[in-house]
Amino acid sequence: MLTIRSLLRPSRIVDAHCDIPCGIYDPEQARIEAESCLRIIEKHDASEDKLFRARCIHVKEERAELVKHHLDVLWHDYFKPEHLEKYPDLHETFWKASKQASKVKQSLDAAAAKDLLAMIDTIDGMWKATGGPEKTRVSGRPS
Amino acid sequence: MARRRGLGGPFFLMLGVAAGIGVGRRWLDVVEVRGTSMAPSLLPGDRLLVESHTYQSREPRPAEVVLAADPREPERELIKRVASVNSAAATAELRGDALAASTDSREFGAIPLSEIRWRAVFRYWPPQRAGRLAEGD
Repeated sequence: MLTIRSLLRPSRIVDAHCDIPCGIYDPEQARIEAESCLRIIEKHDASEDKLFRARCIHVKEERAELVKHHLDVLWHDYFKPEHLEKYPDLHETFWKASKQASKVKQSLDAAAAKDLLAMIDTIDGMWKATGGPEKTRVSGRPS
Repeated sequence: MARRRGLGGPFFLMLGVAAGIGVGRRWLDVVEVRGTSMAPSLLPGDRLLVESHTYQSREPRPAEVVLAADPREPERELIKRVASVNSAAATAELRGDALAASTDSREFGAIPLSEIRWRAVFRYWPPQRAGRLAEGD
């Protein structure tokens, strides 16, 4: 028998959907990995130990890969079309930064690692200017 | 968030329930909201009356809250707000009210109007927020 209660029971779930997202983004994540790359290159260059130098190369490549991953997430999850209107060179900036991370992965060039940091700082500026610290950190970026 | 009080809500609801009995959930149905992309207008657990009559005679209009199959996962049904309608292309852009926490037409593109059949008209649960879903609400 149909009752009011059964009629008011939802027949289906509708999704006010998002790909979760956790909504937490911060270019600092990419920057820390990129700083690791720079410091590892410096340590590599200062060492005579073959084994240590081999480990440096291995770990630096892992860190550089993480830079690319974090940049990717920012690029396609944090930044939205309205941000592109504000920063028409947004795609170009990310593309170049990702390529630079590849360069850091492939080489032991400290200058390349410094360039990468500068590129991440540019992205950081975009993130800040679009309200990133307020919107995508739990209580802003810790000082 | 505008909310209407008074007899309008309960009356509308009773009318809806009565009609629902009559049409067996083909024109009227009730759904539950999951997710937060429509916050603060719609919150997880909100229960809504939806109707499929209006869009048989006219196109969706901007600001209306509609249901549509997720183009990337058709068995999932989305609830979003109409941002714009392109009559020539017979498509609509859908957005979640919570832009930062919504996957919508910005991601999966415009939705064919033929896919948009249901319009959300009334929230009956929770009772303290019951009322018509005004445009822009």
